[in-house]
Amino acid sequence: MDFEKIVACIKEINFKPNISNFNDKLIIQKVVFLLQQKGIDCKINYGLYVRGPYSPDLTHKIYEEREKFESLKTNTKLTKPEELKIQQFNEIFTELTPGVLEIAATYAYFAFKKKETPKEALLKVKELKGFYPEAQIALGVSKAKQFLYEPTKQELEEMKKEFNMWENAAIIDRQ
Amino acid sequence: MVFDFLSLAKESKLLNPDIFSVIRFQLLFNLAEVDEAPYRDLKSALQLSDGALYTNLKALEKMGYVESRKIKIDNKDLEVYRITKSGKEDWILVKDWLKKVINNGL
Repeated sequence: MDFEKIVACIKEINFKPNISNFNDKLIIQKVVFLLQQKGIDCKINYGLYVRGPYSPDLTHKIYEEREKFESLKTNTKLTKPEELKIQQFNEIFTELTPGVLEIAATYAYFAFKKKETPKEALLKVKELKGFYPEAQIALGVSKAKQFLYEPTKQELEEMKKEFNMWENAAIIDRQ
Repeated sequence: MVFDFLSLAKESKLLNPDIFSVIRFQLLFNLAEVDEAPYRDLKSALQLSDGALYTNLKALEKMGYVESRKIKIDNKDLEVYRITKSGKEDWILVKDWLKKVINNGL
């Protein structure tokens, strides 16, 4: 596990954790999972537990290095691409709401880590986290998609073609 | 190997509950892996009725295996459960025993 990088990530998202607080520990677990799915490799193994994607190793390490973690002391500097990914995270997850993060991470586990279809992933989220209101589930799922979805080459080509058509139409219109 | 409780939870439905309490077994198994778990997460993930979950959690609490506290998540009051030191110790004993049963049974 790259604990230094985890501390650097938490520092970069501007979150001051208090390890005695249940919500703070939940936020850390889900944020690190989502960032790892985005490609920031913190070298943590996540499994599916009663609380959704979860890493017992991360919890143990946080307790073990409590002071370092709460004070966010680290010499590790994130790379430019990693900083950009975190910036994107901050833009999408403007508030670190535990419920929304829990839903987003659970959806990401099924749809992006296990590569299940969006429909199957949504059904499993509803099965596991059915106690959340529909609107909150929809919000969490949409944020996960916004953060993690990467269009395929073919989709990018199609988008390019479509945008070119609109651009050309605008040029003709201006003339 | 990635841990996946869902497959294990599904397989547990095949076990005969008369041999031992499958619900208590599952609760200890899951609580030993996570730091703490809210009541609603346990109910939903393990697909248990309120009656079955509450009764078994209270029994484990009485045995000194689990403890609870109240917290707030998204402005909602929730009860969270964690396994105690003695709960963990006894669970390890059960796990080791089961490993022996499986290894010897093959």
